[in-house]
Amino acid sequence: MVDLCVQIGPLRLKNPVMTASGTFGYAEEFKDIVDLNEIGGIVTKTVTPNPRPGNPPRRIVELPGGMLNSIGLPNVGLENFIREKMPFLQTLRTEVVINVAGTTEDGFAECVSRLEDVDGISAYELNFSCPNVNHGTSYSTDPNIAERITAAVRRLTRRPLIAKLTPNVTSISEIGLAVQNGGADAVSAINTVVGMAVDIAARKPKLATITGGYSGPAVKPIALAKVYELARNLSIPVIAIGGIATAEDALEFMIAGATAFQVGTANFYQPDATIKIKKGLESYCKEHNISRVIELVGALP
Amino acid sequence: MSEKKLFQPRVAEVRKVAHDIYLLQFHQPFLSRNARAGQFIEIKTPFRPDILWRRPFSIHNVNPDDGDVEILFHAVGRGTKALAHLGPGDTIDILGPLGNGFHYDDELREAVLVAGGLGVAPFRLLQRELARRGVPMTMFYGVSDEDQFCGVDFFDAHVNLKLSTVDGSRGYKGVVTDLLVEYLDACDDLAHKAVYVCGPTPMLRRVQEIARQYPVPAQVSLETIMACGFGACVGCAVPMTHPQPGVKEYYLTCKDGPVFNIEEIVING
Ligand SMILES: Cc1cc2nc3c(=O)[nH]c(=O)nc-3n(C[C@H](O)[C@H](O)[C@H](O)COP(=O)(O)OP(=O)(O)OC[C@H]3O[C@@H](n4cnc5c(N)ncnc54)[C@H](O)[C@@H]3O)c2cc1C
Ligand SMILES: Cc1cc2nc3c(=O)[nH]c(=O)nc-3n(C[C@H](O)[C@H](O)[C@H](O)COP(=O)(O)O)c2cc1C
Ligand code: FES
Repeated sequence: MVDLCVQIGPLRLKNPVMTASGTFGYAEEFKDIVDLNEIGGIVTKTVTPNPRPGNPPRRIVELPGGMLNSIGLPNVGLENFIREKMPFLQTLRTEVVINVAGTTEDGFAECVSRLEDVDGISAYELNFSCPNVNHGTSYSTDPNIAERITAAVRRLTRRPLIAKLTPNVTSISEIGLAVQNGGADAVSAINTVVGMAVDIAARKPKLATITGGYSGPAVKPIALAKVYELARNLSIPVIAIGGIATAEDALEFMIAGATAFQVGTANFYQPDATIKIKKGLESYCKEHNISRVIELVGALP
Repeated sequence: MSEKKLFQPRVAEVRKVAHDIYLLQFHQPFLSRNARAGQFIEIKTPFRPDILWRRPFSIHNVNPDDGDVEILFHAVGRGTKALAHLGPGDTIDILGPLGNGFHYDDELREAVLVAGGLGVAPFRLLQRELARRGVPMTMFYGVSDEDQFCGVDFFDAHVNLKLSTVDGSRGYKGVVTDLLVEYLDACDDLAHKAVYVCGPTPMLRRVQEIARQYPVPAQVSLETIMACGFGACVGCAVPMTHPQPGVKEYYLTCKDGPVFNIEEIVING
């Protein structure tokens, strides 16, 4: 038996496989396809205080090895989320992480303060980094604002707090250190990489919003470098995100220093990717006589 | 609605049926029993890990007795050209059944099917479902050039069929929506009739105008770009005709559709 348990600050996961926000809906979309309780942790699509309709089409573009998206954080808003989406999430026997964002600085605290009254939540993930929303990135590119928001939320909750970081900055460690100071229990990285595609026949951008977020296998090397940097410079655990589609991908991130990881874009084209990755991780550990998966974390020389 | 599942069936046959158009047949009893007309499946292109997303295809035909399923596809790009090269025994990875499918009113007395090009794909199964309900059908089927017609003999035997080609090589010379207008003009009474339409965007827009003008209820099977096909990516948004501004302005083609009442959606592009 391989022990797949990992500890993200105060949050204990039965295995390091999580889902990335915005790529797994509210889990119910996947219930016919995967046994949700086998997944270590489920991160829900970003919820904001008020409903958001999202961006106009076209919202997605397929590219070699990846995709661009400009979804614009559509969601039903906090109150409807609690009423419509939480009941199903509360039936799950796995850790449920609610990803929140605000369109203003106070929005984050507003979400968390309201969610404190709701059962069945294991942790919060603060989405500092969606590039598709006006001003969205300033939270994550300005370490002072990121620290201030984290600290404000920290005062409201004892639940574990994960700060999700953008790679679209000069120094991701600077932001990581700021949210660590603000009281985050862990960081997750990366969100999507700002990107663009042009339709040469129409001579127009392919996305309605011109630029969007790049994700999928193609961003893995970028994500690995950022995760490695964060793991070296921060004292809190790092959750890896970016192009993870196979157990081998996940292993690279753990060896580079990630304690857990999130599967994103792969869920779209391989909806059972999380389960396959978990099985692959288990086989790798057996093959290499590793009894506890955490032995792998940061195993680089 | 039936649960969606992942399946790995083997290809029974890929057969060229018209210019650049292929019929792919595989054995999958669950799908063949549970899929409804207008629903679709998502296929991961085999041997091409570089093609990231699955590709959506309408369920063309099923045979619940022997468990076979067919899709009809146009080889237009990387994924569909690769599918055209598959042979018997190759394994395909599919997800389905997906989407809502066509709906019927119990009062329906006649169905008018309007197909443009490969828009004919979901109508084989629709014909079967409507025939089972004893609903008479008229079908207008248009393509640009006669070598693109598929299944004309089948439809001719089961529905009141009229063909059109843009170049006049077969049937009426012109666009298929002209035939629809001519037909609606000749009807004394449009009560208990419904139009079902699938095809290229300009044709859908024209049918939307026609449906408003007469008026006659029309259902459209819509195609948008899709990354997942089951509501996870939220990429397949289509604007609502009556949005709640700032709250809900879009439907998802894969989940709320692909079949919509034609007046509910804004047809762009
Ligand atoms: C619900 C649904 C049902 C469909 N049913 C059928 C069917 O029964 N038979 C059939 O031949 N095709 C069908 N399509 C369209 C089919 O999915 C696309 O032709 C296919 O994805 C193209 O893949 P490709 O790799 O060959 O082309 P690509 O190389 O990806 O692109 C070639 C061209 O096709 C366009 N395209 C790509 N994806 C789509 C898409 N999802 N919808 C429309 N255009 C697209 C691209 O913009 C480009 O112009 C359906 C689409 C949807 C959404
Ligand atoms: C279509 C799409 C929607 C996303 N929505 C969100 C979101 O709502 N909130 C969020 O924090 N991240 C969102 N992300 C970012 C992912 O969670 C993840 O950080 C990123 O895609 C990189 O991982 P990947 O390469 O495995 O997809 C989204 C990504 C995609 C592709
Ligand atoms: S295609 Fe992903 S939500 Fe519709």
